[in-house]
Amino acid sequence: MTNRKYRDPARPLAALLAVALAIAMSACGSSNKNSSSGSSGTTTSSSSSSQPGKGKPAVTIGDKNFTEQYVLGELYAQALRAKGYTVKIKSNIGSSEIIDKALTSGKLDLYPEYTGVILSELAHATKRPGSPDEAYAKAKQFEEGRGFTMLDKTPFFDSDALAVKPDFATKNSLASVADLKKLGSSLRLGAPPEFKTRFEGLIGLKKSYGVTPAFKPLAIGLQYKALDTGKIDVADVFTTDGQLQNGKYTVLKDPKFIFGFQNVAPIVSKKTLSAQGPEFADTLNAVSAKLTTEAMQKMNAAVDLDKQKPAAVAKQFLQANGLL
Amino acid sequence: MIIADTVIPNFGGGAHSCVRENRGFCWSWVQDNWNSVLWPAVRQHVELTAIAIVIGFVIAFWLALLAHRRRGLEAPITVSTGVLYTIPSLALFQILVGFSFLGLNRLTVEIALVSYTLLILFRNTLEGLRSVPADVREAALGMGLTRRQVLTRVELPLALPAIVAGLRIATVTVISLATVAAFIDDEGLGSPIFRAIQSNVFKTELFAAGGLAVILALLADGLLVLAQRLVTPWARRQRA
Amino acid sequence: MKPVLNGFPWIGHHLSLVFDKLGVHLLIAGIALAVAIAIALPIGVWLGHVHRGSFAAINISNVGRALPSLAVIAIAIGIVGLGRNTLILALVVLAAPVVLTNAYVAVDTVDRDVVDAARGMGLRDRDVLWRVELPLALPLLFAGIRTAAVYVVATVPLGALTGTDGGLGDIIVNQASYRLEGVVGAAICVAALAIVIDALFAGVQRISTPRGLRGQIDFAAVQTAAAGNPQEEGTPP
Repeated sequence: MTNRKYRDPARPLAALLAVALAIAMSACGSSNKNSSSGSSGTTTSSSSSSQPGKGKPAVTIGDKNFTEQYVLGELYAQALRAKGYTVKIKSNIGSSEIIDKALTSGKLDLYPEYTGVILSELAHATKRPGSPDEAYAKAKQFEEGRGFTMLDKTPFFDSDALAVKPDFATKNSLASVADLKKLGSSLRLGAPPEFKTRFEGLIGLKKSYGVTPAFKPLAIGLQYKALDTGKIDVADVFTTDGQLQNGKYTVLKDPKFIFGFQNVAPIVSKKTLSAQGPEFADTLNAVSAKLTTEAMQKMNAAVDLDKQKPAAVAKQFLQANGLL
Repeated sequence: MIIADTVIPNFGGGAHSCVRENRGFCWSWVQDNWNSVLWPAVRQHVELTAIAIVIGFVIAFWLALLAHRRRGLEAPITVSTGVLYTIPSLALFQILVGFSFLGLNRLTVEIALVSYTLLILFRNTLEGLRSVPADVREAALGMGLTRRQVLTRVELPLALPAIVAGLRIATVTVISLATVAAFIDDEGLGSPIFRAIQSNVFKTELFAAGGLAVILALLADGLLVLAQRLVTPWARRQRA
Repeated sequence: MKPVLNGFPWIGHHLSLVFDKLGVHLLIAGIALAVAIAIALPIGVWLGHVHRGSFAAINISNVGRALPSLAVIAIAIGIVGLGRNTLILALVVLAAPVVLTNAYVAVDTVDRDVVDAARGMGLRDRDVLWRVELPLALPLLFAGIRTAAVYVVATVPLGALTGTDGGLGDIIVNQASYRLEGVVGAAICVAALAIVIDALFAGVQRISTPRGLRGQIDFAAVQTAAAGNPQEEGTPP
């Protein structure tokens, strides 16, 4: 077997070229379809004459993998675009640790997070806040300690809550979470897997209320069906879920606030804020101010139950409130 | 400054009752959302797959050529591509995102997808090259062909069936994995699937997106079967 | 890089969790495999015995292999709703084809001379199947089961993405609770599990081969033939 090279240099070069071409194709082709609904880079607003966003660097907003987040992402993005900002959305991010890492490593500029989640999952705070304002203040303090900050919080808070079917509630005389204790471990509770290891979850239930149910992991969005079909007795729901609007389910009170306070506030890096100018924060704060619990429930319902698109729902809401 | 009360518009609830009641399959939803949801997802899925296969093939082909010349390389290449292949995709996607220079985007997805194609394409190509009988090679050399000409005119054509077979497996594997990629990059047919599961288990979207992925995979497989037949005219003659 | 390396020690620190999830993982995989075999094996064996339906029997595994797993699960959820049984149903759909095809080919390609000789000796049809064809078909038959088993084990984690138990997949999708170390650790477990299952069934293949044939059968070639083409392994999603 001779050692003579049979390949001329053209072959590996050609291969390299093909690879480079393909990578270039893929990088250019990577478009996010969620950012192309309704309003694009061009403004659609008639009332606002100022375009503070023009000329500023592009901003990437992230949102997690459930309806409320899709809506929030769209609300913020569309409001910004109306003021001339260039916004991309990275939607449907499947893991909250991934989204936070993406933020801290600069892959995202902003994403809407829940104050309580920041405290328990990111700051690993041991002392539980006593009020929404305290929760927000502590979360903001934490974020500022690592180069980020939080914009204004929304009026609504989307905490976890436990919901049961009304007849189950009447049958077992349930009004608050504490009443679940008597059902012991015959109680079947359905919740996302993270519920098991969170204080705003099984741990807090056990510690503060002495409630020890049998745990059935479910993805977010599947709990109502599971309740309806009797697969579980009590579900971990969110207080702004669209399904809760019409009294179909009974939400149990949480007098000890183990589920904390979960107002939403956009986390954004200080660098981004200074690069984008003061109107950036103002635009976002104007949106947040309008988000009441009822508004959020109705928007979530429109997406989850009526299958409207988050982008369309966000657009309608912004228009109705003069923000677009 | 007085902030006006929130106005909640009537969102219309304009959805077809079929959609609202989540009945089996609502054709109206498919029609309404083809251009905005389904077709873009299909297009992205095809793009993701095509790019992964092209890049994966280029790399694997080159590796196979190397291993064909130097037998000692086969084992390490097989082992390393094999390790990549065995890592569950959900984990590989997340590990890649952990690297600071990789984002939640197509590049990260493609790196993972390409990794999964390497073992299959490498082994099939190498097998194909090896399947050329030694005496055929010797005869060609004897006829005065250079090493390179032996490769391009004798070995590769005879290896084509195995190569195309490998492409076939790799393609359907990538199509399947690309649905999972939506976990970190909201593209491809996995995206509507995840959203549908999350959004009150919306059946129509599940059937539509899932069905399209199945059709896409079967179509790709079928096309490659045809390609396989085309590159083996002698087998065709045998069958006749 | 550090979280990746820490995957191994993570396993050591979370053994009880890992075993819990492993148990569920094997349960789901086991049921799915058993059902797939129960359905597909008899059909494939019978078709091979009567030498009929070759086109369908041979090609069904190609179709099966092409099916994107998440899509099949999604469609199953649409039909049946969410839950563990839906995942099992989807896994059966994904695993059965390769079992069927291998069973068919295994019985169909038993040396005709041997079969004819058996018939010539006066064996009834049923005995020809049970005492001649099946024993000779076992290696290829088990090869198909082996491929299916590895495939099922590797696909169970998708359950965690689709609203039900995913065995070790529960950890892999839950980076928020278990951190990247946990994700990597669980992934290592899944990979290891697939390798172990593969080796186990390879052993079964060997044991099931009639002693007289053991020396003559190239098991590697049988396994790859089972997969249907030059080279293939089982672990994808």
